[in-house]
Amino acid sequence: MSTPNKPLIQIKDVVIGIPHKRRPTLIIVNNANFDINYGEMVGIVGESGSGKTMICRTMIGTLERRGGKILSGDVVFEGQSLATASESDWKKLRGKSIGYVPQSALAGPNPVLTIEAQLAEALRNTGDTKNIKARSKELLDLVKIRRVDTVMKQYPYQLSGGMRQRVMIACALATSPKLLIADEPTTGLDVTVQSQIMDLLKEIRSSMGTAIVLISHDLALIDEVCDRVVVMHAGATVEVGSVKDLEKPRHPYTIALNSSRIDIAEPGSELVTIKGSAPSVGEWNPGCRFADRCSIVQSDCRIGDHPALIGGSGTHQTACIHTELLERI
Amino acid sequence: MAEFLLEAKNVSVTFGSGATKVEAVKNVSLTLRAGEPIGIVGESGSGKSTLARVLAGLQVPTEGEIFFNGEPVYKGAKSYTGEARRQVQMVFQDPYGSLNPQLTGLNAVAEAVRIHDKTNKELSETRALELLRRMGIAELDAIKKPRQLSGGQRQRVSVARALSASPTVLLADEPTSAIDQSAQAQLLNLFRGLLDDGLAIVLVSHDLGVIRYLTNRVYVMKDGVFVESGITEEIFNDPREEYTKILLASIPGTLGTAARQKLQQG
Amino acid sequence: MTTEVKKKKFIKEGTFGIYTGFFMLGSLIVAGLIIPRVSKYKPNDLASMPLAPPSRANWFGTDVLGRDVFVRVFDAVFIDLGTAIIGVSIPLVVGTVIGTLLGISQNKRVNSLVGSIIDGINAFPFLVFVIAMIAFIGPGVGSIVLAISLVNWARYARIARTRAVVVNQQGYVEAARTLGFSKKRILFKHIIPNVSSETRAYALSDFIIVIIAVAALSFLGLGIKPPQAEWGGMIRDGKDLLTVGFWWPTVFPGIALCWAGIAVAFISEGLTRRMREVGTR
Repeated sequence: MSTPNKPLIQIKDVVIGIPHKRRPTLIIVNNANFDINYGEMVGIVGESGSGKTMICRTMIGTLERRGGKILSGDVVFEGQSLATASESDWKKLRGKSIGYVPQSALAGPNPVLTIEAQLAEALRNTGDTKNIKARSKELLDLVKIRRVDTVMKQYPYQLSGGMRQRVMIACALATSPKLLIADEPTTGLDVTVQSQIMDLLKEIRSSMGTAIVLISHDLALIDEVCDRVVVMHAGATVEVGSVKDLEKPRHPYTIALNSSRIDIAEPGSELVTIKGSAPSVGEWNPGCRFADRCSIVQSDCRIGDHPALIGGSGTHQTACIHTELLERI
Repeated sequence: MAEFLLEAKNVSVTFGSGATKVEAVKNVSLTLRAGEPIGIVGESGSGKSTLARVLAGLQVPTEGEIFFNGEPVYKGAKSYTGEARRQVQMVFQDPYGSLNPQLTGLNAVAEAVRIHDKTNKELSETRALELLRRMGIAELDAIKKPRQLSGGQRQRVSVARALSASPTVLLADEPTSAIDQSAQAQLLNLFRGLLDDGLAIVLVSHDLGVIRYLTNRVYVMKDGVFVESGITEEIFNDPREEYTKILLASIPGTLGTAARQKLQQG
Repeated sequence: MTTEVKKKKFIKEGTFGIYTGFFMLGSLIVAGLIIPRVSKYKPNDLASMPLAPPSRANWFGTDVLGRDVFVRVFDAVFIDLGTAIIGVSIPLVVGTVIGTLLGISQNKRVNSLVGSIIDGINAFPFLVFVIAMIAFIGPGVGSIVLAISLVNWARYARIARTRAVVVNQQGYVEAARTLGFSKKRILFKHIIPNVSSETRAYALSDFIIVIIAVAALSFLGLGIKPPQAEWGGMIRDGKDLLTVGFWWPTVFPGIALCWAGIAVAFISEGLTRRMREVGTR
């Protein structure tokens, strides 16, 4: 399968805000910028409140439903601009070319439908209503669920958290989407289950050529599983690069995040932690929003707009304007 | 002075009866010395949380006994009393339910301080603020209600509250599971500091990475029983049981990758 | 694009509802205090011709006996609102305590017994059961309050019990136990406050039900003894006259009843909106 040279989906200088009747618009994401190519696995990593969930909603078009609005910038999917797309435009993409797997603890399969009914609904989206039962079983096979016949008749409450997530992935894959967005799919699940689901996602990527966006707060996980990484902090993309590039991170936040990983820490040693916490939405200071937590902050870091990503798309980009000082960290 | 600070002997916990009988914990024994960090690792449903609650005095075991400093903990339906009660404290898994939503962090900790130190409001608040500061919670955040705090902050307030009793044992049930990687690092650092102060910690988790970082000894639990136990480093380098190897292989990041390769070769 | 989000002073969600509701209730209460005292008509004295339409002399007209409707409507405020408030407060306190104790109790027999009583009472339609109670006790103001309390507490108890079971399992309650707090402290400082947040919310909407129940009981002749002015009673006295064109003895007390109900509805809605907003932070 030849993959086109253009990116599959592009987030270009996107600014997201929550407008309110009586108050000034609350800016949640200011300056998100990255591309995702066909067939690649990209991880979006950031703390809670970094805006990664909002970006996820932007890519599946549920922003308005949650009160958000793209204030400027664009989301381009296969050349089609979606910033001002209507709900009916999104309906043609969502559940068809773009699949979505939600956070396991928050959502899941419809509790009142059997798994069979669930999958049938997802398959109807393809427009082809023949052989739904057989295709449903194929999907369950694809996500490595054994005892397919039993599971088909069960309700979500009878399944474990890990199984439910597999069903969600199966539903998302029903239409063989080009892009699969997984929003913290394994948060709250045991590590053993997490590891199995990650293996599953990798296999889906290689066998179906689906591009996968994995949103997580766990850098170790993303490091292990993804091809490229997008690092977000307080509503801005601060670093973008391949996993190999990020072995030598070029933004103080990524360096700090990397250093706080437990898997590379020496047992019993002091873990490096990032001082302070990310500024909450509505309390953003001018300039770089990592300034108060940065060990190499300079005076010009605190003025003007948040720094944009330096470097062209496809290269190792960073939003730090003082990369020359990085070795001091 | 007993050899072990905390000891479980042949403990079983069974819920329900007949068709709905669940044997959460089956004939389990463990030991904890003063100042020692141990881990109990297992997936959900392994019984580790139930075991932790038994150790904390919150769940009467169906069989077996718990000893604290050589004295039996459970007498009928009652558990820890008096001095022993304050020495064994617990931090719970869900940060969102671990704090009374109506109390500020300061109030919650000060209440505990007041009960233990038997002091007045002012002194208890001073000590509470000090404890919170040690846990990395600034005064600005201490006067906030739980819903205004992040998961990591809530966990740290819970730890401060537990510490107000000046315990010798801290049981931590999956303290890092519901929080961010960076918040996890902060919490684990805190625990490490507490170990340096001489506190014994029982860390219950499904993540061996966290266990490896903090503990000296670990018990691997599956379906209510210990399948393997020993010195953490040895378990890591040379696991004996298949289940342990699977757990090791699941650790996110570099540790897991190495273990996975071994699993495939072995 | 700069992201300067200044902290402007903003109006909290729900403020309109809360203020409007309190204003409506407040004005009703103030009117109830002042008007019967300053009016030249006494609520139970004959003022003028019976069934005189609203005029400059009698703003709301006169009823079938010739009493001034305006002063009677406001004379009824305290009785109607008062019995409703008591009819909510007593069940709230009693129901919350009993329900909470039941929810945290380990005693299977007590749980089963009291639980059945609660479920039994709740199985009946509220007003029907209250009327049955009054048939037992006899009519009168005290009876209304007693009957309503005897029936209504069970509704609060059910809410409290369910909530108490959940609260009892929360981390902060278990933490209070490991910290060695006394049972009394845990119950009164940790469990009950978090249970009563739900029962108090229910109380607000219940208030409207109780106000209407009080009026309905009087309408049926089971409650407040005449000649004391009371909205339900006034509506009853005037209902047969509606069809012949004498609307004022009925409509004005009806409006007063609606006014009180709507006021509480505003407050309840306003508080709900504010809670929702706080929750999304």
